[in-house]
Amino acid sequence: MNLQVHLGNLTLSNPIILASGTAGYGREIAPYLDLDRVGALTLKGLSSNPWVGNPPPRIHETYAGIMNSIGLENKGFDRFFREDLPFLENFQTKIIANIWGKTIEEYSDIAKKMNGLERIDAIEVNVSCPNIEQGGESFSSNGQVLCQLIQNLRQKIQKPLIVKLGPNTDDLNNVLQFMEREGVDILSITNTFPALAIDVENQSYIFSRKTAGLSGPAIKPLALKLVYDVIQRTRLPIIGMGGIMKTADALEYFLIGAQAVALGSVNLIDPSAAVQIIEGIKAYLVQKNIFDINDLIGKVR
Amino acid sequence: MKRAKIVQKRFLGTSFVELWLEEKDIAYLASPGQFVMVTIGSSYDPFLKRPFGILACQENQFGLLFEIVGRGTQILSQLEIGDQVDLLGPLGNGFSLNPKEALLVGGGRGLVPLYFLAQIFTNKKVPFQFFFGIRSQEEKVLIEYLSQLPIPLVISCQEELSGFYCGTVLDAFEDWRQHHSLSKSTPKIYACGPQGMFQTLAKMDDIIPNQIEVSLESRMGCGYGVCLSCAVKKKGLPGYFHVCKDGPVFRLGEIEL
Repeated sequence: MNLQVHLGNLTLSNPIILASGTAGYGREIAPYLDLDRVGALTLKGLSSNPWVGNPPPRIHETYAGIMNSIGLENKGFDRFFREDLPFLENFQTKIIANIWGKTIEEYSDIAKKMNGLERIDAIEVNVSCPNIEQGGESFSSNGQVLCQLIQNLRQKIQKPLIVKLGPNTDDLNNVLQFMEREGVDILSITNTFPALAIDVENQSYIFSRKTAGLSGPAIKPLALKLVYDVIQRTRLPIIGMGGIMKTADALEYFLIGAQAVALGSVNLIDPSAAVQIIEGIKAYLVQKNIFDINDLIGKVR
Repeated sequence: MKRAKIVQKRFLGTSFVELWLEEKDIAYLASPGQFVMVTIGSSYDPFLKRPFGILACQENQFGLLFEIVGRGTQILSQLEIGDQVDLLGPLGNGFSLNPKEALLVGGGRGLVPLYFLAQIFTNKKVPFQFFFGIRSQEEKVLIEYLSQLPIPLVISCQEELSGFYCGTVLDAFEDWRQHHSLSKSTPKIYACGPQGMFQTLAKMDDIIPNQIEVSLESRMGCGYGVCLSCAVKKKGLPGYFHVCKDGPVFRLGEIEL
């Protein structure tokens, strides 16, 4: 049986990835999950300098989902380099660094640092964070700014470059064409959905930033539709994500044409879910008499 | 993930539930102040696990005592003996266990980790005094529960309740301190209760917040340090601790409440 997939020049032993921000830097989830079993681990988003994130509350449960407003808290590159990178040397699994910045310069800075690390196999760029040079609007809410960012990063990053697009990407068609031209290698679709919750008792917003990102099974059909939409418009390989809880959810993404999938919220409630999903995929392939997972990808078009 | 079977269940009044679960790793490893993350129900709604402080351990079983405060605890309270739950644990750091002498200060459901601590101190022959307070008569069941332990207790209730100190647990604690000379050795203080109790405690005379260990309650996403939801502000420093991984036990002086 073959579970190996090729996403451009990034080859994974299987198509199950742990999504950024739901597996820490590997050390946190390792007691519950053999990291070498997954196709890749995406690290919690890192910026060049440490970032404290948002004040609590940072999480709010919804029907079959969660809203989060962590605010990109992270320890910064230097502490990651000292505290976490050595641990990752113990594993063979592919490591994807997830990076972000508040300005194009900050993005460039962390991109260069990550690009210089041998243990990092690919770099995923979170473009859904606030751009402080454009009044705090997300980089992805302005197609032109987004293209400028991507062009800049492509020059800095020699490793496979993954762009993670959220649900509200401006001018999607042009952005996709631009990314193909500029040589982006892979797309991650999608990020959390902007959402709102109100505290009825206190008649106020739940979160200090008012909106927060919704994830979990509640968003799966929406995320799947986004993957479907993007697949119609690009030849770039896609990592599909959003609300995958079990094998059948992952299979839906493959069948629609995602070459790999990432597990996010499920890791919070079951840190060993990835292994069960991989085993489930194998069982499905046996049952359907399919030898190679690649024969499954895009079967439903 | 671990799976545990419910082997005992008891309602204390209408809003508190004591559960005993069979899971030997947790029962052997758990230390006072640590917690477990329990899956609620078998669907994805409610989605998240819930954190519960560990009440006690006995052979291959451990106890939980929780208050029904929302949907998750409501659903958990409906499980019966023989039902199984998925869980992670024991998680978090726990209290330090080797003071020369200790004062335990608990309010309401803050009883749970201190009850476990009191048992350990009794076994280790650490001299201690337990101060426990409730807000209203409805929580009287907690007093009855705690009174089963043969330990030195000072109990308070903010409503008048015959036989007990009338006031907050910190009023009772302060009164006691004034009548007991603590000059020769300073006992270590362990506290768990509502936020207001911690705030008042930090401002009391002759209290060194950095020498007090408090166990915090927090909403959590994962319980094992990946989601960073359970943030609590560091005192005098930028940034946050995370209750699940850096705590739930902190020195009172290192956190902003």
